[in-house]
Amino acid sequence: MAVVSDQLIAGFSDPVQDSQTLFRTLLKAMSEPGLIRQIEQPERAPGPLSLAGWAVALGMLDADTPLWLSRSLMQDSTLSSNLRFHCQSPLTACAAEADFALALAAELPELASFNQGCAEYPDRSATLIIQVEGISDEPDWTLTGPGIESERGLTIRGLPQAFTEQLIASRRRFPLGVDCIFVCAEQLVALPRSTQIRIGGA
Amino acid sequence: MSQTEGYNFAYLDEQTKRMIRRAILKGVAIPGYQVPFGGREMPLPHGWGTGGMQVTASVIGADDRLKVIDQGADDTTNAVSIRRFFARTAGVETTERTVEASLIQTRHRIPETPLSNDQIIIYQVPVSEPLRFIEPRETETRKMHALREYGAMQVKLYEDVARFGHIATSYDYPVLVNDRYMMSPSPIPKFDNPKMDRMPALQLFGAGFEKRIYAVPPYTSVKSLDFDDHPFEVQQWQESCAICGSDHSFLDEVITDDNGSKIYVCSDTDYCAGRVAASEEPQQ
Repeated sequence: MAVVSDQLIAGFSDPVQDSQTLFRTLLKAMSEPGLIRQIEQPERAPGPLSLAGWAVALGMLDADTPLWLSRSLMQDSTLSSNLRFHCQSPLTACAAEADFALALAAELPELASFNQGCAEYPDRSATLIIQVEGISDEPDWTLTGPGIESERGLTIRGLPQAFTEQLIASRRRFPLGVDCIFVCAEQLVALPRSTQIRIGGA
Repeated sequence: MSQTEGYNFAYLDEQTKRMIRRAILKGVAIPGYQVPFGGREMPLPHGWGTGGMQVTASVIGADDRLKVIDQGADDTTNAVSIRRFFARTAGVETTERTVEASLIQTRHRIPETPLSNDQIIIYQVPVSEPLRFIEPRETETRKMHALREYGAMQVKLYEDVARFGHIATSYDYPVLVNDRYMMSPSPIPKFDNPKMDRMPALQLFGAGFEKRIYAVPPYTSVKSLDFDDHPFEVQQWQESCAICGSDHSFLDEVITDDNGSKIYVCSDTDYCAGRVAASEEPQQ
């Protein structure tokens, strides 16, 4: 699929400063799992992608990061044109080859289809950017682990039940696993593999 | 100070920063695990904090206020040159006060003033692999970490006990992070190890020689290795600081003449100056 130039939109208005701001937002989110953050830039996102999802793509992806897209995102020429133009990431159809995956929650494949890293190099695993229907701090889940002082509540709406179960089960394989960034509109929240998830409130 | 012309913000190019940022995020997700990264040449020699600087350059933003310390002091050559480097290349404000800093790059100390949740501390690391002097092969140390096979380090500490009657390791004292990965805390005195445990600030580590980045998220367990019958202990002094009178901070020994006379002073210059200023305030 080629880049369709009349579907291109602007990326960050100040790529250097906006990438840094996005990274610090993401760093805060990843180091304190379950903490919901708001992104400030950019102002428009391509196709069906949320502003927060587009911000993470602009800030973190480049030609070194093979990217996997879920079915409807792959078919959206506006999104793929803008990803190719702004990020230059090679798009891969094989989830296991991807460093990053961008997916609508409803279209997620099995968790095991993504790269979980290996025992000597667990950092070579995939980072999943998952667009969901809603994020709030109500305690559907209770999170514990590094970055959380005691425990923290989190609700992710629209995540398939099977995927949630696989995510919880994957914690037993730590340090292997994937790191998730959930995005919805301007909100993002991160769930690294080190976070333990318990269903229900405290 | 205005930004230096002709360089990108904070010296490194954007592609490099993105690569380092991705490594930092993986490091945060796997507390204590050493993530390899593509280290770049910095305009000062290896061993002067190039690993820490590359992490700082990838993290720092226009709104940050940077503090840099070398063995606790803000006014030593390494600290001054790194602070001026970022003042020139990123145009950020700098400070010598721990409480005012949003980013603290450190060589071999943790400030005495407790750090808060909105601060980030970045350690300069000379040898990132705690097992390196026990096992020189990277392929083997990788396996030891994968299998959580850390008995060799316990043996090394036990050899101290056998020879000296106590654990003689006094700096770069190995820790276990989140009950999983053994980590080098960088050559901080073991006096500072307890400050790492459940610290509210994010801790990032950059090793320029070895091209490794690792991290400890806030509120993460960091345990110093020890034995039931030889528990971990920190250094203690009979003396107090000759300048501020502190009897609970890390003290440096300073030789004052050719006869070996000596005084002890706080290694953390900001902490010491703060105590002196507080005691000089007029008492009401």
